[in-house]
Amino acid sequence: MTLDLAADAPRLLVLVGAGGVGKTTLAAALAAASAARGRDTLVMTFDPSLRLKDALGVGEEARERAVEVPLAAPGVLAASLLDARRTFDGLVARYAPDAAARDRILGNRFYRHLAGHLGGILEYMAVERLFEAAADERWRRLVLDTPPARQALDFLAAPARIVGFLDSGALRLALRPWFDERGRLRPARRLGPLGRRAERTLDELVGLDLLRDMAEFFAAFAPLFAGFRRRALEVQALLRSPRTLFLLVAAPGEERAADTLFFARQLVGEGYRLGPILVNRVHPRQPAPADAPAALAEGLRLCHWLGERDHRGLAHLRALLGAERPPLPVPLLAREPTSLRELAALGETLAASRHST
Amino acid sequence: MANPFDLLARHELVVVTGKGGVGKTVVAAALGAGLAARGRRAVVLEVDPRESLHQVFGASPSGGAIVEVGERLAFQNLRPRQVLDDLVRARLPLGILARRTLRSPIYEHVAEGAPGLKELAVLLHARELGAARGVVVLDAPATGHALSLLAAPGLVSEVVEKGPFGALAAELAAWIADPERCALVAVTAAEEMPAQETLELLAALRRELGRDADLLVVNGLYPPLPPPPGAARVPALWRERRGLNERELERLAAAWRGPRAELPLLPRERGPDLLAELVARLGSDLAEGGG
Repeated sequence: MTLDLAADAPRLLVLVGAGGVGKTTLAAALAAASAARGRDTLVMTFDPSLRLKDALGVGEEARERAVEVPLAAPGVLAASLLDARRTFDGLVARYAPDAAARDRILGNRFYRHLAGHLGGILEYMAVERLFEAAADERWRRLVLDTPPARQALDFLAAPARIVGFLDSGALRLALRPWFDERGRLRPARRLGPLGRRAERTLDELVGLDLLRDMAEFFAAFAPLFAGFRRRALEVQALLRSPRTLFLLVAAPGEERAADTLFFARQLVGEGYRLGPILVNRVHPRQPAPADAPAALAEGLRLCHWLGERDHRGLAHLRALLGAERPPLPVPLLAREPTSLRELAALGETLAASRHST
Repeated sequence: MANPFDLLARHELVVVTGKGGVGKTVVAAALGAGLAARGRRAVVLEVDPRESLHQVFGASPSGGAIVEVGERLAFQNLRPRQVLDDLVRARLPLGILARRTLRSPIYEHVAEGAPGLKELAVLLHARELGAARGVVVLDAPATGHALSLLAAPGLVSEVVEKGPFGALAAELAAWIADPERCALVAVTAAEEMPAQETLELLAALRRELGRDADLLVVNGLYPPLPPPPGAARVPALWRERRGLNERELERLAAAWRGPRAELPLLPRERGPDLLAELVARLGSDLAEGGG
């Protein structure tokens, strides 16, 4: 099973995997190889290192829009950086029915707290940016890097969770006994003795001010909710489309092989198309040192051990995955790619690889 | 010049953070084991749905329980959601109210989505555990998440200004901010992306928490290159990686003037042997600043 970057499909490549495995570098390399094959390609990354930003030649403007990268290739290569904080405000501004509604939300204390820190917001904003980019006919290929996650598939769960949280219908219903449609506190006398006691308890627990801010937020947010929900559903459809391919990036360590298998099964089980599993940064095998002076022997022993360790891990993963889905090893480069030329070279290695036998 | 264990002799909480893949968990375990060896009682806490800390100790997974692994040493794996649920159960006066709350879809959404709640629960657990059992070494989630963890009490106390939760959040925020009581250890590799991310973390800590880290641990260093004629037989990988290590060490030393420990890449699988070697290496003196 190989990845043919010269073909039309897949249009969208999504790189998933645990933190620290090298997804961002591989995403950039694959995008370079795609552009080298004549396809105008956009790579969307999360917080790449300074060097990678330098290599791609992108600066702060890439947070606002796609920036072309000076790669000499038949196709265009562009990059964008995902910035969650900025994006949520931008979305509210764009989809709010009027200026008053927009200001009510942006000024709401609960919203301001939420927008910066809501669990899964980074992943959700990636989804929103993906939605925009996918709708742009200009890009023949999109390569999406996903945020580093403890669980490789956090990225997929986040949008549904955010939409669930923002489901103003459910939350407004819960807050309704105390607040009216506009988020104003109902007069205490209308609540009855039981209601008044509950009100005092709630005030003691979290403060009615907070609940009021929440009620106001959800009331103001209601007109936007339908749009958020619709887009989340469309992106779900896009992610499951036959023109989308997921690439799971893993480290060669033996202890993670079972996790890699688990994620692979989960992706396939939930209806996503999974491409070759990229086992990244595989150390080359080196002979064990014989006859070497002490200072040299220590290092040679280490290099030998690293090569054997990775080789064992790869073999273990291969055994777990079976013949249908052989892993694609990506050798550890002596030097980390820090220039566009090196990224493009890594991209060529990936594009040319055949699965290991 | 002190060693890390001297530095951490009196703290109640040691938060160990770093980018994924740099060996944060092993270093956290080594700090706990080293402190225990020197007479402090210690618990190493892991906050990760996928358990891996137990492998370092050569023990079975914790499954949420506290596992004793030595005279004064234990470890525990925490699931933040579980800890939050337990907290709600403990604090809501009526059992029936607690049960209904925990089952409601709104609680589900709020527990998962609302900023700071799970993190608050983890820190509260760490504080209570520490009071009962000695120093808590917290193997924090990878970099970005660790900052959320540390910032959570302050955040929650801003939004929930009153009542028991507000007070709790404010107390925990003060605890975290106190450098005599809570230490911050940043673990990195001497490679470009982790080093960059670490420097950004250190800057973010100063900016958002008004605090500096207390110790930087640079892990996974290749051995120094041998002098000629041995130098000719050095494989390209070793030569390039060591060169990279030296460049990044320089960059880190220039930007971070605090105490720094350096650990070698060792040909050992994760387990008690690796742990023992790292404890021994950490026991030696620290480098500081440009030194």
